[in-house]
Amino acid sequence: SSNGIPPSPLRTHPTSGDEGLIEFYSSFKDMFEFFCKNTTIHGTVRLVCSSSNRMKTAFWTLLFLASFGMLYWQFALLFSQYWTYPVIMTMSMHSEPKMFPAITLCNLDPYRFDLVSERLAQLDQMAEEAIANLYGYKTSIFSSRYKKDISVKGGSANLSSSSFQLNRHISLVMLKEPDTGSKKKHFKVGFKLCNATGGNCFYKAYSSGVDTIQEWYRFHYMNIMSQLPVIINISSHEEHIQNLVYSCQYDGEPCRESDYIHFHHQVYGSCYTFNSKGTDLFWKATKPGISYGLSLILKAEQNDRLPLLSTVAGVQVMIHNHNQTPFLEHEWFDIRPGIATNIGIRQDEVHRLGGNYGKCTVDGEDVDVKLLYNSSYTLQACLHSCFQDKMVERCGCGYYYYPLPPGAEYCNYNKHPAWGHCFYQLYNRLADHHLSCFAKCPKPILIRVELVGGPCALCAIPRIRDCHS
Amino acid sequence: MAPGKTIKAKIKKTLPVTGPQAPTVSELMHWYCMNTNTHGCRRIVVSKGRLRRFIWILLTLSAVGLILWQCAELVMFYYTASVSVTVQFQKLPFPAVTICNINPYKYSAMKEHLSELDKETKNALETLYGFSEGKSKVRRDADDWNATGSKFLEIIPLVKFEDLSKKTVTEIPSGNKRKIETSVFHQGSSMVNTGDPQDVVGFQLCDPNNSSDCAVYTFSSGVNAIQEWYKLHYMNIMAQIPLETKVNMGYSAEDLLLTCFFDGISCDTRNFTPFHHPLYGNCYTFNSGENGKVLTTSTGGSEYGLHVVLYIEEADYNPFLVTSTGAKIIVHDQHEYPFIEDIGTEIETAMATSIGMHFTRSHKLSKPYSDCTETGTDIPVANLYNKSYSLQICLHSCFQRAMVDTCGCAQYAQPLPPGAEYCNYKKYPNWMYCYYKLHEKFVKEQLGCQQICKEACSFKEWTLTTSLAQWPSSVSEDWLLRVLSWDKGQKINKMLNKTDLANLVVFYKDLNERFISENPANNIVILLSNFGGQLGLWMSCSVVCVIEIIEVFFIDSFFIVMRRRWQKAKKWWHDRKAAPAQVNAPANEGHDNPVCIDEDLPTFNTALHLPLPQENHVPRTPPPNYSTLQLDAAFTDPLPDTLEGSCH
Repeated sequence: SSNGIPPSPLRTHPTSGDEGLIEFYSSFKDMFEFFCKNTTIHGTVRLVCSSSNRMKTAFWTLLFLASFGMLYWQFALLFSQYWTYPVIMTMSMHSEPKMFPAITLCNLDPYRFDLVSERLAQLDQMAEEAIANLYGYKTSIFSSRYKKDISVKGGSANLSSSSFQLNRHISLVMLKEPDTGSKKKHFKVGFKLCNATGGNCFYKAYSSGVDTIQEWYRFHYMNIMSQLPVIINISSHEEHIQNLVYSCQYDGEPCRESDYIHFHHQVYGSCYTFNSKGTDLFWKATKPGISYGLSLILKAEQNDRLPLLSTVAGVQVMIHNHNQTPFLEHEWFDIRPGIATNIGIRQDEVHRLGGNYGKCTVDGEDVDVKLLYNSSYTLQACLHSCFQDKMVERCGCGYYYYPLPPGAEYCNYNKHPAWGHCFYQLYNRLADHHLSCFAKCPKPILIRVELVGGPCALCAIPRIRDCHS
Repeated sequence: MAPGKTIKAKIKKTLPVTGPQAPTVSELMHWYCMNTNTHGCRRIVVSKGRLRRFIWILLTLSAVGLILWQCAELVMFYYTASVSVTVQFQKLPFPAVTICNINPYKYSAMKEHLSELDKETKNALETLYGFSEGKSKVRRDADDWNATGSKFLEIIPLVKFEDLSKKTVTEIPSGNKRKIETSVFHQGSSMVNTGDPQDVVGFQLCDPNNSSDCAVYTFSSGVNAIQEWYKLHYMNIMAQIPLETKVNMGYSAEDLLLTCFFDGISCDTRNFTPFHHPLYGNCYTFNSGENGKVLTTSTGGSEYGLHVVLYIEEADYNPFLVTSTGAKIIVHDQHEYPFIEDIGTEIETAMATSIGMHFTRSHKLSKPYSDCTETGTDIPVANLYNKSYSLQICLHSCFQRAMVDTCGCAQYAQPLPPGAEYCNYKKYPNWMYCYYKLHEKFVKEQLGCQQICKEACSFKEWTLTTSLAQWPSSVSEDWLLRVLSWDKGQKINKMLNKTDLANLVVFYKDLNERFISENPANNIVILLSNFGGQLGLWMSCSVVCVIEIIEVFFIDSFFIVMRRRWQKAKKWWHDRKAAPAQVNAPANEGHDNPVCIDEDLPTFNTALHLPLPQENHVPRTPPPNYSTLQLDAAFTDPLPDTLEGSCH
């Protein structure tokens, strides 16, 4: 040792006084014994402890060496794994048979009900006149075309419409635009909306006359349609699916008569939903591929009973979950007439973490907005219900395109002269997120998103249109 | 008294001396260190030598520091992780939407620049395929042609193959037949027999300095050959026109956009940022974020998306440059460059195109997990685009740089590097040949661009679902066209044609942002805890025992070996000195010989090896006293009755 003081290897009290700065062991045996006795490895104590029994020593040595070997083997594995720098991506795929999603088809051709047909004819005429006044162009396509009116079963004809008068003061006018410096186009088309006293007015105008005319027509249309009873019974002939679908096959078998439900949408016309409940085993999707999906031949008639409501021709399709109201204005795609369209679908399931991680709801029970739709909770349904509540609260009447809360009635300007003013302001505020609806409506905890893998719109084979999962 | 009671009494007797009730703090510490379950502390006490002890104290303290640091990290990670989930936005930024007319410039405005080229193209078509628009006109044109000579065909001659296998060709302007000796590059998909070999049309590019160095590019269809040939000349002409003139020749925002509607609110041309694309002319970007404000949507669905009606002036299309009608759009991030030529979506006229979007954001881990780049600053290719890095930008910039290096001028379709100018054959007569050679190299990955350029680590992607409906419907067509004509400022009797219009809707299908991110499966913390687990499982030891092993088996062993060597050497020296005297006792050598231990102080070992009486044989190592093995050193005196049976 360095300072010549003999080390005392078997010393039990290492704290005793005169020790060197550094001390070493004189022999391997000495060192090994010290190591075995004081080490923090447990096995080595046994080695020394049982040194009087050779068999035990051998056993412990073996055991010690074996575990040492295991340790280094594991170390090698850990290191090799670490150096490959693996990454984790969590994603799970489920391929168990699923129910085919619900599919809603609409023909973009809303009915002209006989109860209001007289008013609608007046409106068409008004539109014609407005266009003639504004653009100096006479058209007679709206009123002269033959239009088949749909009779309402059990309704007392022309009961309420007799008292209803079109408000000709809400008309299209030419507005001079403030000079923006551009060479052409100083004029815009718009229509004027005032509050009840007439003191506060604004012009609803869009950059294009087409948008304004359509909005203006829609506004009057809502007023007229509000005259209709809330529940309309349409003759069974009109709601027959053969008006839209020529042939229907699912998984190689013809669809059954009972497989669809019909409803009438004020803008999208006659709509048929296939597999809306999702309980019938007929609609079980067993195999992927075109031939195992739903294949339809559709009739895209351009009847256009209300030509100003929609300017596109075709069939609108929405793929959605069972028991959900199809919000066609929200998420649809078009099917163009004359071609075969293949649509592949894929379902994504999004589970949100509730609780502290984010605001979401399991079934909408804990949301303080009463759902007006008779279906399961969706964000869109909640937003619509919330908006309708606000509408009834602020404007005194309900927006025609959304369902009515109990005790309320739909807006019309004979009864609520200022509702247009009130509605557009409220609507813009919803769009600007000022209303508390977005705060009130949490996202559902589980969302199934049907991802539509691009309808191959350009396969111009005049054959059939297929939906397959 | 029962043995249990005896033990209890003895414990009672011994406890006050060393236990928690120890008289001094140092004794208490000593007691703690000997008894504690943390290993480092015990090492401090049992170590020999002040230096050793000091090192062990240092090690223990730093280990405590490390534990605190790592635990703090873990706690912080836990909290940041939960925070990042909590922040959820109901809004999504609306992407930038760039819209271009497929035709880059108004043909009427381009006439003065392109008239000669078009005339020659028509003549070439007539010679090749024998069709004409009107006999008299063609004859006049042909005369014209013969008179003026063919400037464009001279530079790049179009050739028609008489027999592909024999390589005999007819040159288009002269009609001369000759055999070509140069290499033939086929640009078609594959060299399948496309029927009549006479159908094969191509053009010849020669190195002007060395006219024997030529390459003939053939196409499986004459359409492609003529278009490609036309494009080469077109790019030459366009490269010489200043940018301002080009912008004036293109479509203005008022020309292109008839109506605009976003999120339920009317919008106009002021919401569109112009942007000049070399191949598509004037393009307009909606929501480009130019003024620092990016529009957001809080509701999905078509009514809250972007609605535009585009005016596509079909009559003013260039007949040779573009063969389809419509517009091209691309949905991209505000910081991304819109590569319309590569990934644009085409929009049909007389149709309503609705494009639904799903938003996906991905983030990959950069080095060492995967080979991608976060910002692109580590890539040795200068970004020629004034936008954030992407793989496409890198590849295009890399090619442009190679082009400037080898050909001396820049390719027309990509931005100009500083100090360079666009290629035109007045100044750079051989650029086309050079370009084709270079492009071939690029495609075959010989330029090294594909190796240099890396993917960007994070990118945003909008998955588009396109659907079409007929628009305008037959009933609404009449009034719609008239109103739109009026909007456009045209006379009501001169109505727009519906094939000049395209309706486009771009909207979010849902507001679920899909975020795909990579997380390292292993990090240092996980690696260390795995080590800890393995060490503990197999050896019940920790980092302390690893240091222990190093201390004992490396440092101490080394010292012992050195010491032995030193002793041996010393002894050998002694032996040599005393050799004459010691010859009679050779058997007593080595350190076992007690006589030899003279200068070294006797150690325990050497003391044990003193010669003993032969009859009284003592084992070399005394059996260990079990009390020294006990970790619990509370019992300073071994209790004889507790020792029995416990270690056998």
